[in-house]
Amino acid sequence: MNDLTQLEEPTEIDQSMREEIRRVSHATRARRLLISRVMTTLCALTLAVTAVPLVLLLFQLIKRGAPELTWTFFTKVPETPSLIAPNATGGLSNAILGSIALNIYAAILAIPVGVLVGVYLAESLSKFASALRIIAQTMAGAPSILMGLFAFSFVLQDLHVGFSAIAGSFALAVLMLPVIIIATEIAVLNVPNTLREAGLALGAKPHKVSMRVVIPSALTGIVTGCILAISRAIGETAPVLLVIGGGYLNTWKPLSPVSALPLSIYENAKSEWPSQRAQVWGAALLLVIFVFILSLTARIWASRKQKVSN
Amino acid sequence: MSEAQVTKSQAVIVRDPGHTAMQLEDVAVSFNGRVAVRDATFDIAKNRVTSLIGPSGSGKTTLLRALNRLHDLTPGAKVSGRIVLEGTDIYRGDMTVTELRTRVGMVFQRPNPFPTMSIYDNVVSGLRFNGIKKKSLLDEAAETSLRSAALWDSVESRLKVAASNLSGGEQQRLCIARALAMDPEVLLMDEPTSALDPIATLKIEELMTTLKERVTIIIVTHNMQQAARISDDCAFLLMGEDRAGELIEFDTTEKIFNNPNDPRTLDYTLGRFG
Repeated sequence: MNDLTQLEEPTEIDQSMREEIRRVSHATRARRLLISRVMTTLCALTLAVTAVPLVLLLFQLIKRGAPELTWTFFTKVPETPSLIAPNATGGLSNAILGSIALNIYAAILAIPVGVLVGVYLAESLSKFASALRIIAQTMAGAPSILMGLFAFSFVLQDLHVGFSAIAGSFALAVLMLPVIIIATEIAVLNVPNTLREAGLALGAKPHKVSMRVVIPSALTGIVTGCILAISRAIGETAPVLLVIGGGYLNTWKPLSPVSALPLSIYENAKSEWPSQRAQVWGAALLLVIFVFILSLTARIWASRKQKVSN
Repeated sequence: MSEAQVTKSQAVIVRDPGHTAMQLEDVAVSFNGRVAVRDATFDIAKNRVTSLIGPSGSGKTTLLRALNRLHDLTPGAKVSGRIVLEGTDIYRGDMTVTELRTRVGMVFQRPNPFPTMSIYDNVVSGLRFNGIKKKSLLDEAAETSLRSAALWDSVESRLKVAASNLSGGEQQRLCIARALAMDPEVLLMDEPTSALDPIATLKIEELMTTLKERVTIIIVTHNMQQAARISDDCAFLLMGEDRAGELIEFDTTEKIFNNPNDPRTLDYTLGRFG
């Protein structure tokens, strides 16, 4: 009891110490609040610096591109303007069709191989797998013109296939491969080991476990990776530049020369006719729309599947 | 000393060979030369629950996983000694690892139903892995196994629903059903209730007592009361001075808990360490 009363009555030293603590912590709080405000302002400023060019770009793209997206743009092949008809640019239907065909063929070539290699990398511990992984990672960072050169020398010169959609698809497939391989490997590695063990413990052979348990469980990541690979490939100019031949006809035949949206942008931007240079914005806007749809699909797919598995 | 103990234990346990589900002779498991568990010699009796108890690091789970060759895929893992299932050495005899695993099922520490499969598909997955496609057969196996796992009544109306919609306890019973669908002789259970609440735990324990009529159960558990409640025989393992787990004593659960031969066993079961 005595002890308690003593405690309630602070000595003078206690009092001054308490005040000191109060004063210092108050000062610290004030200083931290100031730093916090300065930092928040800085963050907001850097955000503005980053966002402004992006927004301006998008604004410019829509402002100049949207008027170009006419019925003719989608349905007609290109024409060369003349002095009599300086605005007769025709449309870019060949390039739209070409871009879609190129990417579909490229996806058909790249996805099965990429997924299988990715699964192999994730499930194998061999030295060969590690070597393959390093190659895939290096290829993911390689300049895309390299794929074009490779397709040119391999498909055109060695295999004697002419300028064609399939040559371009080959280049794009090589470009997609590392993206698909790496995404698949990560998705497969993320499948909990206990699921593999559960499969094995039921007497399943390892390849059955991969096919029926691991790949279905990793499907979200694999599909997302494939979609992102396609959306990367669709905007690439360099790989297709040398090999697709820039055909002026509406065709999706693998062995015919085709055009592609990025190639049209590259060609038309050099044109002497203002009308053709204006058309570039339409093609650019359409490409951005394609990429936007693809990445949106990837996001929706990923979130939808997550809900199911949780 | 340990030799004498083994003979002593076996004097109590020994039954005619027809009553033995699995025999372990001097089993040791090592990873990259480092011994994780050794000296495991005991017989697992048919239609009884055998528990493996001991503190963390004593090699219980490692030993259990050797019984259906789950260490095969771990690089550097080596199992020595003899593990015999119905007269065949499971590592050196003419039994494929696939056949062994269909005869020795396993239930894991955390419920691990296949997340992309429905309840029904989960139960029959083992049969499908082994090439059985006939619908009537799968349907029958699904119902029988779910009934055996005391899950049929609550999932009968939603067999096509994703297995991940079930509660933790139900998921674990689904995993038991999945293992039972293969009609195994032995069921290995690696701390099957450690991730479950007490009520779900109780259900699994009740299940084990009924299941042992048709399948021999070997269970690893950290929970001493659980071992005492549900097991008939009990193996006590302990980590030796070189950090390798070893079998200290094997006997009936009653003997292990009331009157063990080794003082360390008594210390452990009384909760003096571990």
